[in-house]
Amino acid sequence: MIETLQFWAVVVLLGLGVFFTFVSTVGVLRLPDIYARAHTASQTDTLGAGFALAAVAVAFGWQQATVYSVLLLFFVFITNPTAAHAIARSAAETGVEPLLTEDPDDADDDANTAVESEGEVQ
Amino acid sequence: MSTDGHQEGAAVAVERLLVPLSDTVTVRQTVGYAVQSGLEDADSLECHLVVAMPYDADVPESDRYRDDAENLLSRAQSWVEEDAGTADVTIETATIGVDEYLFGPRDYAEIFDAYAADHGIDRVVIDPEYQPGVTAQLLQPLERELERIGLTYEEAPVERPARRGRLVGETEDFDRLFATFWISYGFYLVLGDPTYWFDLLTGAAVAGIVAVSLAQVTFTVPLDRVQSPIRVVRFAIYVPYLLWEIIKANIAVSAVILRPSMPIDPSLSRVNSRVRSGLPLTALANSITLTPGTLTVRATNQELLVHSLIPDAREDLFDGGLERGIRFVFYGRAAAAIPSPRERDDAEIVGGEEL
Amino acid sequence: MTPWSLETVFLGGAAAFVVLAIAMFYRAVVGPTTQDRLLAVNVLGTNTVVILALLAAGLDQAWFLDVALIYALLNFLMSIAISKFTVERGGVL
Repeated sequence: MIETLQFWAVVVLLGLGVFFTFVSTVGVLRLPDIYARAHTASQTDTLGAGFALAAVAVAFGWQQATVYSVLLLFFVFITNPTAAHAIARSAAETGVEPLLTEDPDDADDDANTAVESEGEVQ
Repeated sequence: MSTDGHQEGAAVAVERLLVPLSDTVTVRQTVGYAVQSGLEDADSLECHLVVAMPYDADVPESDRYRDDAENLLSRAQSWVEEDAGTADVTIETATIGVDEYLFGPRDYAEIFDAYAADHGIDRVVIDPEYQPGVTAQLLQPLERELERIGLTYEEAPVERPARRGRLVGETEDFDRLFATFWISYGFYLVLGDPTYWFDLLTGAAVAGIVAVSLAQVTFTVPLDRVQSPIRVVRFAIYVPYLLWEIIKANIAVSAVILRPSMPIDPSLSRVNSRVRSGLPLTALANSITLTPGTLTVRATNQELLVHSLIPDAREDLFDGGLERGIRFVFYGRAAAAIPSPRERDDAEIVGGEEL
Repeated sequence: MTPWSLETVFLGGAAAFVVLAIAMFYRAVVGPTTQDRLLAVNVLGTNTVVILALLAAGLDQAWFLDVALIYALLNFLMSIAISKFTVERGGVL
């Protein structure tokens, strides 16, 4: 019984991990510029790796390998935003122009009118 | 103020001082000490007040940097005049390093040395809290570099705000050693086997070496025996909240990417965060980057330049949930209850030219 | 009870990650900017860590996790080196 439960937990977690990594890969291939790609790359680092490593931890049960998986996750979480930020910043500094929506004002006129009128100052 | 004092007396009677300024709590005392000590040794004093612009001063926010520098210089000038009284003091002010892209302590030491050579400076008086714009504490490496270059400098003996005296400095060092030792020992034992004597022994040796060699660079901000452990606990509370935010954002971004029309709406916005530079700002910027849909492109002082992929993510950012979380971690529950960046008017959408 | 063995599931998961990693190679090769390549390589690094962990579970070789951990730490060092290198002189990567 416990084993069946463990099995399905692993399948579900791994499936979610593969799904989010898939979305992230699609995003990196599809999105138009480096800044937008950096967003979706962080999906692999967070939920993709997170769910997959959680599956590994569940499979190993409560032993040292679980501690390893948690440590791995911890490192991935700490390091990847740093890397993503470094990459985005280096792109900004080497003059890569971001693709922005032409006019932020008519992009959406709902709740954020106050903020957007602030944005017109540019 | 007389400007020709050094031409009347013997050449030795003029003391030329270089005082690098940054906006710290001890800058006033440093200037006071510089004037006083300079007048002790010589009849007349030439006091060079300089502000070194940090490496990121060439970003669009640099106007603010420049204003701050001017402001600081004019304040310092009036302090010198006030302290000098009737004595013969000449004041020179300058902003240096604007085109130099100063980054590390070596760059600062070199630019001070160049300035000293140009103006025949006898002595450099340094503020013990000296910290020009960048987040890391600079004083110790700067002193090392100054020694290497061979520029005479002196640390102004200021009274620092309470608990920062010599004696307390030692317990501070001890705290750093202690914390670094146990963190590295714990990490070693997690990877090894905590019940095996060999691992316990080698782990202690390795942790000892790590603590002695790296304790000074591990913590740039002094530890607080009460606050630091509490922060760790509060951080543990913050992590599930962050995970929840990440999951929500992941689903929203996935929905946008998988839709064939891909309705993205990229925009850049600037947020003035209400967290201190250093670790809190790093934690906030990393949390923002970790959440899909928002990406920190630049973090200068308290200003974050954030690229957002979809309007929802931008709205979340302007609602300031993560900022509250970080304030909770570092300053406690009461500090977390602040208005959102939108309400304080600290968030705005900017164009691509801001990069 | 269970349609496949746990090992099969993990190896299948690892295979899926390998396929996604290969797809990511497209971005690493095509670019167009250096940062695009860098980003793709960074994601590949994370994928490698995950694949190693999945193999550790699938082949029941717990020591693979040591390799994965070292790989993650090296990834971290790489990101620190890169950020220092880019920020220091604003140089071109």
